[in-house]
Amino acid sequence: MKDNRYEQLIADLRSDYRPQREWGEGRGILMVIGHFLVGVAGGTWLMASIYGVIYGLMVAYVLAALGALVHLMFLGRPERAIKMMRHVRTSWISRGFVGLTLFLIGGGIYLAITLLGLTGIWRALAVAANVMAGIGTIAIIGYMGFCYTASKAIPFWHSPLHPAIYIAFAIRGGIAALLVIGAASGQLASDWLLQMWTGVTALVTLFFALEIQGALSSGNIAAKWSVRDLLAGRLAFSFYGGTLLLGLIVPVLLLTNSASNSPVVMAILGVASVSGDFFMKLSTVKAGVYVPLFSPARRSHAS
Amino acid sequence: MRLGMVIDLKRCMGCYGCQMSCKAENGTPPGVFFARVIKREEGTYPTMRRKLLPVLCNHCTDAPCVKACPTGASHYAENGIVDIDQDMCVGCHACMVACPYNNRYFNDERRNYFGDEGPTPYEMERSERHPVGVVMKCNFCRPRLAEGKDPACVANCPAKARIFGDLADPNSDVSVLIKDRGGYTLHPEAGTSPNVYYLPE
Ligand code: SF4
Ligand code: SF4
Repeated sequence: MKDNRYEQLIADLRSDYRPQREWGEGRGILMVIGHFLVGVAGGTWLMASIYGVIYGLMVAYVLAALGALVHLMFLGRPERAIKMMRHVRTSWISRGFVGLTLFLIGGGIYLAITLLGLTGIWRALAVAANVMAGIGTIAIIGYMGFCYTASKAIPFWHSPLHPAIYIAFAIRGGIAALLVIGAASGQLASDWLLQMWTGVTALVTLFFALEIQGALSSGNIAAKWSVRDLLAGRLAFSFYGGTLLLGLIVPVLLLTNSASNSPVVMAILGVASVSGDFFMKLSTVKAGVYVPLFSPARRSHAS
Repeated sequence: MRLGMVIDLKRCMGCYGCQMSCKAENGTPPGVFFARVIKREEGTYPTMRRKLLPVLCNHCTDAPCVKACPTGASHYAENGIVDIDQDMCVGCHACMVACPYNNRYFNDERRNYFGDEGPTPYEMERSERHPVGVVMKCNFCRPRLAEGKDPACVANCPAKARIFGDLADPNSDVSVLIKDRGGYTLHPEAGTSPNVYYLPE
C-alpha cells in the first residue's frame, strides 16, 4: 500500500481524473473524523448554551477533546499542535486550532467552576471563561468549511456554499446531540428543538442541492466528476446509505411517526442524524477532485 | 529577482534526464520525484500522439500551499523560491491538498531502495535531508544556486529543454523566450501565478 501510493500518484497525474487523496484516505481519515467531532462539539456547545443544558455542555467538551485527540493522532506527535497556531493570518487550519484551544481552555474552566458550584469571584472567572469558549465555538463551527473552500484547484469544494453547509451541519449535529441527551436523561425533546432540526435539515438539503447544481452547471469537468463520484460513482454507497438514508430518510420517517416524541425515538433520530452528518462529511471530502493536470488552460504571459 | 524556469516542450524528448538528475542531487526516497516527466498517449490509432509534461514545483508567486500552511513551514525564500522549513513542518498535509499540481510529497517512513539489504552509504548520506513525518518538494536546488550553479534538472537536460533565470528581468533568456514563443503556465485560473512556464510544442 505504501508504494502503491506513488503508483497511484503517477496514474492520477497521467489521467484526467485526479481525486484528492490526502484527507479521507488511509491515515487521512483521521482528519475527517477530527473535523466531524469538533464540528458536532461546537454545535452542541452552542445549542446547549441556548437551552441551558449542562449535560450538553459536558458532552460538547468531551467531543471537542476527542476531536483534538484525533487531530493529534493524525499529526503523530502532540507537540506539533502548538506549531499549528502560528499562521492565523492566512491559514484556516491555524485559525481552527486557535479556536479549539480557546474552546478547550475556556470550556474546561467554565465547566469546572459550574460543576464544583464555586461562587463569588469564581463566577466572574466562569463568565470570562464562557466568553472564551463562545469565541472558540464560533471559530470551530466556522473554520472547517473554509479549510476546503480555500482549495481553488478542487472546484467542488471551492464554492461559497461549502462553509455555510459546514456551519449548518455543526448546528444540526448540536441539535441531534441534545435530542440524544434529552432522551438519555428521560426528558422529552421540546417541539421547538424538533422544529429547529427540521428547519436546519431543510436548509442543509437546500444548500447541498444548490452546491450540486452549481457544480453541474459550472462547466468544470472536475466539479462534474465530484458529483458523479457522489451520486453514481465510488462514493455512492456512503452517500445514499449514510448521508441520505441514515441522515435524512430515517429521521424524517421517525419525525412523521406518531410516537415521535418518545425518548427512544428521539435518541434514534439524533444518532441517525449525526451518523448521516459523518457520512456527508466523509463523502464530500473524498469527492474533492482536482482539475486535470494535462490539457492545461493556456495563457500567454509576457513577464 | 524572481527566479523561474522555462520548459521547452518542443525540445523535451522524455528521456527522464531531469527526473534522474534531480533524484541523484536530492537523494529523494523511492517513488518521490521532485522533478517528474509525465507521459501519456492521446488520440486513437493511427493518429495517436505521446504527450510529455515535465513537472516540478512551480514556485508560485501566490502559492496556495504557503497560505494553507498553519505553521509557516512553507514559506517564500530568497528570490521567490517556495521552500519548506522541515523543523517547522508538522505533516498536516494542508499544503498537499492546496497544491493544484500535486508537487508535494509526504515522507511517512524511512524506505530503502534495496529493501532488507538496508540503506546504501549514498542513501544514508542523502536521506539525512529528508526527515520522516514531514512534507518535501523541489526548492530549485537552493544549495546549488548558492554555489552559482543551475538546478540539477536544468544542468543535466541533454536537450537543453529547461532554461532557468530571472523572470523579473525583461531581457533575461527566460523572459524573452516566454514573450517570443507564447509561454504559458499550468492552470493560471487557479490564481497561483506559477513561475514555471511551458513553451508550446
Ligand atoms: S506548485 Fe504547488 S507546491 Fe509549488 S509553490 Fe505552487 S502550490 Fe506550492
Ligand atoms: S504539512 Fe508541513 S509544510 Fe505542509 S501545511 Fe502542514 S506544516 Fe505546512
